[in-house]
Amino acid sequence: MSALLDKKEGAEHLLMGNEAIARGALEAGAKVAAGYPGTPSSEIIESLAGVAKETNMYVEWSVNEKVAMEVAAAASFAELRSLCVMKQNGVNVASDFLLHLAGSGTRGGMVLVPCDDPGALSSINEGESRFFARTVEIPLLEPGDFQEAKDMTKWAFELSEELKQLVMLRSVTRLSHASGNVKFGTLPTEESTARFRCDGFILDPDEGVVISAPVDYKHSQQHEKLKRAKEIFEDSPFNTYEGPDKPELLIITSSACTLYSREAISILGLKDRVGLLKMGTTWPLPPKLLTRYLSLTEKILIVEEVLPFLEENVKVIAAETASEIGIKKFYGKNDDTIPMVGELNPDHVINAIAKILEIDYLPRPEEYSAKTQGLAFFGAPQRELIFCPGCPHRASFWSIHNALELDGRKGFVCGDIGCYTMALLPTGFTTLKTVHAMGSGSGLASGFGKLGQFGLDQPVLAVCGDSTFFHSAIPALINARHHKSDFTLVVLDNSGTAMTGFQPHPGLKVNAMGDNVPDLDIAELCRAMGARVEIRDPFELEETRETLNELMEDKEGLKVLILRQICGLSPEKKAGKKYEMAINEEICLGENCGCNRVCTRIFRCPGLVWDKEKQVTRLDEVICTGCGVCADICPAGAITRKEAV
Amino acid sequence: MKIFGPNELLEEVINKNLCIGCGACIHLCPYFRSYKGKTAMLFPCTLEEGRCFAYCPKIEVNLDELSQQYFGRYYEGGPLGNYLSIHTAKAGPKVEKASFQAGGTVSALMSFALAKGHIDAAVLTDKEGILPVPRVITDADEVLQCSSSKYSASPTLSALNQAMTDEYKKIGVVATPCQVLSVAQMRMNPLEKEDFTDSVALVVGLFCTWAIDFRAFAPFISERVDITTITKVDIPPPPSEIMEVYMGEEKIEIPLNEIRELVPETCSYCIDMTSEFSDISVGVLEGRPDLNTLIIRTERGQKIVNESVKEGYLILHDIPEENLEHLMWAAGNKKKRAFVKAKEEGMINTEGDKKSYLRLQSKTVDEITG
Repeated sequence: MSALLDKKEGAEHLLMGNEAIARGALEAGAKVAAGYPGTPSSEIIESLAGVAKETNMYVEWSVNEKVAMEVAAAASFAELRSLCVMKQNGVNVASDFLLHLAGSGTRGGMVLVPCDDPGALSSINEGESRFFARTVEIPLLEPGDFQEAKDMTKWAFELSEELKQLVMLRSVTRLSHASGNVKFGTLPTEESTARFRCDGFILDPDEGVVISAPVDYKHSQQHEKLKRAKEIFEDSPFNTYEGPDKPELLIITSSACTLYSREAISILGLKDRVGLLKMGTTWPLPPKLLTRYLSLTEKILIVEEVLPFLEENVKVIAAETASEIGIKKFYGKNDDTIPMVGELNPDHVINAIAKILEIDYLPRPEEYSAKTQGLAFFGAPQRELIFCPGCPHRASFWSIHNALELDGRKGFVCGDIGCYTMALLPTGFTTLKTVHAMGSGSGLASGFGKLGQFGLDQPVLAVCGDSTFFHSAIPALINARHHKSDFTLVVLDNSGTAMTGFQPHPGLKVNAMGDNVPDLDIAELCRAMGARVEIRDPFELEETRETLNELMEDKEGLKVLILRQICGLSPEKKAGKKYEMAINEEICLGENCGCNRVCTRIFRCPGLVWDKEKQVTRLDEVICTGCGVCADICPAGAITRKEAV
Repeated sequence: MKIFGPNELLEEVINKNLCIGCGACIHLCPYFRSYKGKTAMLFPCTLEEGRCFAYCPKIEVNLDELSQQYFGRYYEGGPLGNYLSIHTAKAGPKVEKASFQAGGTVSALMSFALAKGHIDAAVLTDKEGILPVPRVITDADEVLQCSSSKYSASPTLSALNQAMTDEYKKIGVVATPCQVLSVAQMRMNPLEKEDFTDSVALVVGLFCTWAIDFRAFAPFISERVDITTITKVDIPPPPSEIMEVYMGEEKIEIPLNEIRELVPETCSYCIDMTSEFSDISVGVLEGRPDLNTLIIRTERGQKIVNESVKEGYLILHDIPEENLEHLMWAAGNKKKRAFVKAKEEGMINTEGDKKSYLRLQSKTVDEITG
């Protein structure tokens, strides 16, 4: 049984932040959870899906974040507790519904968990979800450690029910993906019943119509809820202070930055000089509490990721209470004491404190720094982002790249979000020329495909994965077809949401909880839109390339090429190799004219290794997945394949 | 011969639109490929010297070295190059009547060479629709499938490279002047490979004044006829000045001055109308659509022609003086025009790091352009 279901109150488990959030939802008795996969958020839904049967929950990977929020909201409207989970930019996808949901209010406790990715460790943005809380005017909580991740999640449901409002609980990568000890509370035993009451008086929050109108009334209701939240937050145990009564410097922080700040104070030995106010309830800020702590000192440093959200909100309170608390000197992102961009760490906080308090601090001897930098520069092997051995995307982009080069009309590919985003890099032959939001490749291509009128004569291509296709490429394709936009979409169908860990999507016969469900066929959907559809195996390089060239030359509107090959890391693939590969070193041309290491210099599957001494390519049999593609790359016939037994 | 690598080829030839798409750099390596008449470099290659550059007829062609190699003398710049004799010719009774252009001399020569084992493979140019497609033919009966002229540039030499990779030892090739120039460079083993053998046993060169860019030709012709119904394209010998496009029995005529618009710029630098580095050159005969002009240039060319005549594959006659004069006039004009243009643009005998299109004795350049 999953540790998440441990019934023993006070039991302690080492949990990942995301698991702690899942346990919090379980302790709150959440019945419905929906999300869309996205690092660093994915383990929350996965953890809940794993225990859905035992807890009689309904858990789904929705088609996209907006639908996830709608699915979760329906449960709330039917008086169940519900959770919806997404990565930071997922909130943008859901934001239109979010605005209206904040206006209509909720019934059963509903919590939105966005997991932000400061430093964009697994993203192509470091977007902030916290501003949405302020924009749509809902309460925002930020756990500062693993215990709080669990405890605040549970509390968030209670708060939501008390306010009849959605509550946002924001995590970040270092909280979601790091692990710490969590002491458990109790799991509820009573069952919940779903019932949607909607026949009452129109303005009745419990039985009326669920809508954000009449706007003036509902909006004012929303503000009443925020005022109430402020009152509650004034006494919240999740806002804590540690440090002297009269600190020289007050650090105000939240989330994972609490840990960095605490460590920085400790390393500098400044526990008697620096105070640390950790805020768990970051919107709306409780003004009395803030005023109290701002009064303690003149110098305030605000430490947070990524944008100066807390900083701005604290400054508003400081301005409003200036006559009472006096003029303060603020340090933070706006004055560059803390970097505005990227993830923070204890060093950043140490540097900030040292600068403010004029302390000489050298994290390591200069000599040592210089030596390590030198060693790293000259000695560390080049390790760039690269597709896995046997990855179908490598083969797909090989063919796409070659088709474009042969076509010769400077055609280009609009990229999208998935492992294949790496085709911006040499591993995908730098094939992608734009990458934005999910589904945007198709939308951009739909636009480029209408520019012929203005002389654009370059062939337009877009790529998207199978999950992205369902998530948001479909409306763009419908748009393209309807407006007779001329482009070719290549669907890189590797049968799963591979990048985030093989979560199922509507194209598969299984759902998050392992149930059998109907699968939707991408080819049939595209045909229904009226697109010309071709399906190929990307491991058949020449056939794929030929098809692409033909599609690019076909000027008639929307074309779709589905390249179907399961991800090399999928359990099916890992179970066995299709081919046993071999390299004949006698035949290998190496760096000679006629090859010049095309396999290890250009194709660069990690299963192929350049032997500098022998000047030949070797096979790394341990990581080779036996896809067989490199045999078709080798110009000399030195790489051969035979069917594996 | 100055030899550089693929990057210089890309920079000096392909990016400057000087590539005619002859196919000399195709099928040597994974990097250069031809698609619908255009040569593309798929991925960067870092080699400082490559066969791609060495074989290219558009860069660093040392006419003196080539002439020394094949004719034992410096390049002299005569309108027709070096030759032993010039005749009119047509296919003999041994050759099945096919839809070849003019006298069918080329088909006759290749059929004979294959049938009698003078060559073990023939590198020819077939077509798919109006797209020329290189072929390696080993059966004499299949030669006629590739008869008839193709007027757009073809990567025929890719098939020669393929035939060499497939280890044919006596290869016959039918090629345009630019391709013949390239073959002459290939046969000199420019990269000085130890295991090199010259496996080209016969070079039949074609007369050519220009070729059409397929990428321009296809849309041009599509505007006029349904491209899939075209059965034959012909440019009758001067003075007709038209291109005939046949769709079975039907025919349309397109004035040649419209077609000339589709000729790539690179053809205007071409100094050779009659494939001067071939064994045998064949072209049309002015005013006689049923005959060819045939130039014998080498001993082995002579031998093949003699035997073809003896075996009934070929019928030869003396060329009328008037035709010969006009041929020399036309070839000389083309050569002079190209030399003047190349010289003016500083593409001949350049010094320092600058790559040269042609290298030859400067007095010869003066004689031709003077």
